[in-house]
Amino acid sequence: MTAPILAARGLSRRFGGLRATHSVDLDLYPGQILGVIGPNGAGKSTLINLLTGHLRPHAGTVLLDGHDVTGKRPWHIAQAGVARTFQIVKPFRGMTVADNVVVAGLYGARGPAGTTTGAPAGAVGGRRSGTGAARPRAGRRTLAAVRRDALETLERVGLADKAHLAPAELSVADARRLELAKALGLRPRVLLLDEVLAGLRPGEIGPALELIGSLRRDGLALLMVEHVMSAISAVCDQVLVLHQGEVLTTGEPTAVLSDQRVIAVYLGTRFNQSGSARRTPRGDSDPSSEQSGPAPLAEREEEPR
Amino acid sequence: MPTVDTAAPATGSPARPSEPGSVLRPPRWRRTTPWLLLVLAVVAGFGLQTQLYTGQERTASTILMFVSLAVAWNLIGGYAGYACFGQVGFFGLGGYTTAVLMTHARLSFWLALPASAVLVGVFAALIGAPLLRLRGHYFAVAMLGVAEGLREVVTNVPGLTGGGAGITVPTVDAGAPTRWLGNDGFYVLFLLLAGVLVGVGLLVSTSRAGYALRAINQDEDAAAAMGINTTVAKTMALAVSAALTGAVGAAYAFQQVTIYPERLFDVDITVLMVVMVMLGGAGTVIGPVIGAVAVAFASEWLRQHYPLVHTFLLGGLIIAAVILLPQGFTTYVHDAVRTRRFSPLANLRRYRL
Repeated sequence: MTAPILAARGLSRRFGGLRATHSVDLDLYPGQILGVIGPNGAGKSTLINLLTGHLRPHAGTVLLDGHDVTGKRPWHIAQAGVARTFQIVKPFRGMTVADNVVVAGLYGARGPAGTTTGAPAGAVGGRRSGTGAARPRAGRRTLAAVRRDALETLERVGLADKAHLAPAELSVADARRLELAKALGLRPRVLLLDEVLAGLRPGEIGPALELIGSLRRDGLALLMVEHVMSAISAVCDQVLVLHQGEVLTTGEPTAVLSDQRVIAVYLGTRFNQSGSARRTPRGDSDPSSEQSGPAPLAEREEEPR
Repeated sequence: MPTVDTAAPATGSPARPSEPGSVLRPPRWRRTTPWLLLVLAVVAGFGLQTQLYTGQERTASTILMFVSLAVAWNLIGGYAGYACFGQVGFFGLGGYTTAVLMTHARLSFWLALPASAVLVGVFAALIGAPLLRLRGHYFAVAMLGVAEGLREVVTNVPGLTGGGAGITVPTVDAGAPTRWLGNDGFYVLFLLLAGVLVGVGLLVSTSRAGYALRAINQDEDAAAAMGINTTVAKTMALAVSAALTGAVGAAYAFQQVTIYPERLFDVDITVLMVVMVMLGGAGTVIGPVIGAVAVAFASEWLRQHYPLVHTFLLGGLIIAAVILLPQGFTTYVHDAVRTRRFSPLANLRRYRL
């Protein structure tokens, strides 16, 4: 196994008395997808915010290509090739869909002029690996080149025909695609996806997973926080389960998703014997769910942002 | 003044499906037209000068000054979305720097003006670094405090600034570093300042920086995730905006000859800048120009025809305009052309109050 691009060691963050994440270790490898699951409030979004510098950890380190990038500001992390999406989509509303992606190309990871965007096969990982956060800034790319790349990125996520629209005119699914296109516009090596499948209709999930799979083939290291269990088991190489901020278990999707402890934190102990329960896609958000469980889900804090 | 929406080249033309190339890259004429219009407008300004008598020329100079101020405020308040309610502090600081340099250091006005701009820009960057961490109302109030503080400082160092009694720039006798420019000279000065500032606005609008500021305006976390160094971008926007405002203040101080703290740090000037940008269209190139000309012209016209109630009438007019044009005149025209619905009521519903 090659060395991880992005790694976390003992990552911890508190919000007042609430331990949002506690001593989390993880490794992201090129060409692999790590799924992160856990009930609401388990600390999944906090984990992404810690990895991207949007939050500073109280303890622990974040390593990018082996270099310590803990406490670096978000733009440093983004320029070093780590892109993310937000759980609540954050389009730049005053701009067209195309210009949203242009912003990423103008300010994101800097490469030599003329290289294409959207992490084409072979371009990711190989050429940029080993340079890390200390990589010097290459020359700025011209606006024209960035615009060409932006259109390519939009084609890849299936938004090319809506490039001229305002973000407010997009459907929920297209807004998620735009969020993904903005992240890909950075030409990242690492992509952190915070519930990109949320709000999609069943028919829209398949193409989205195909796209994510193609990103893996291009050599991106992916982390996806997701509630759609079928998606997790379909594409993830490894799954990490967070529970009350701590890593409950980690491993292969099939093993993790049938783990009794995982079923217990997701659905309560009443479902312990029911093997089919893990297919329930959003059982964690049901407020009327069982009070007999070890940790009643309705009583848990909302996910801090 | 040109009434074409010259802001459009920055954002392309939303929701107008046309040939693929234009989606990302506006055609050449759309990129060059704003600059041609700007040159034409400045030339027209020179032509207009020959038709004005002295009183009108002074009024026109004032209008041009407010065009410059509105364009400068638009950089931080419009593009970056940081409502800076202390902008008059930069105006006054620029004016007093020039007055002090000309009076005590006998520096030529042509050196004092750029020196004032640089000093104000550096000052803005220094206070901006901590204050731009505040958002929304907190930033507005903090900047209001900065402007008030500057006025108090200027009032309380009479040895340098003449204090509350004001300072008079030597402009006539042999000892004057630069002779007063006369009404014609100041008209040309303010015309060129306005031309340069609109040019800066155009550059920002179509540049990398313009993308960064608009992104910050919409969502700072998302902008940072795009690799934009938001701290640097915001601080630079405030510094440039302040430096340009300081340059305008320098010209104003020289034109007035004698300046007083309560006039140069008058919060009304900030309010006028904000109102002009909001009415014209924040975050566009032409919006502040339209807003400044409209408000300054209306104010002057009302003052001459209804001397007793002109402030009251102007206030009423501004309230009506704010209600009828919630996102500014430029945005209204843009949306009306885009949706083919020209009724102001449709615009009202679009941005329902």
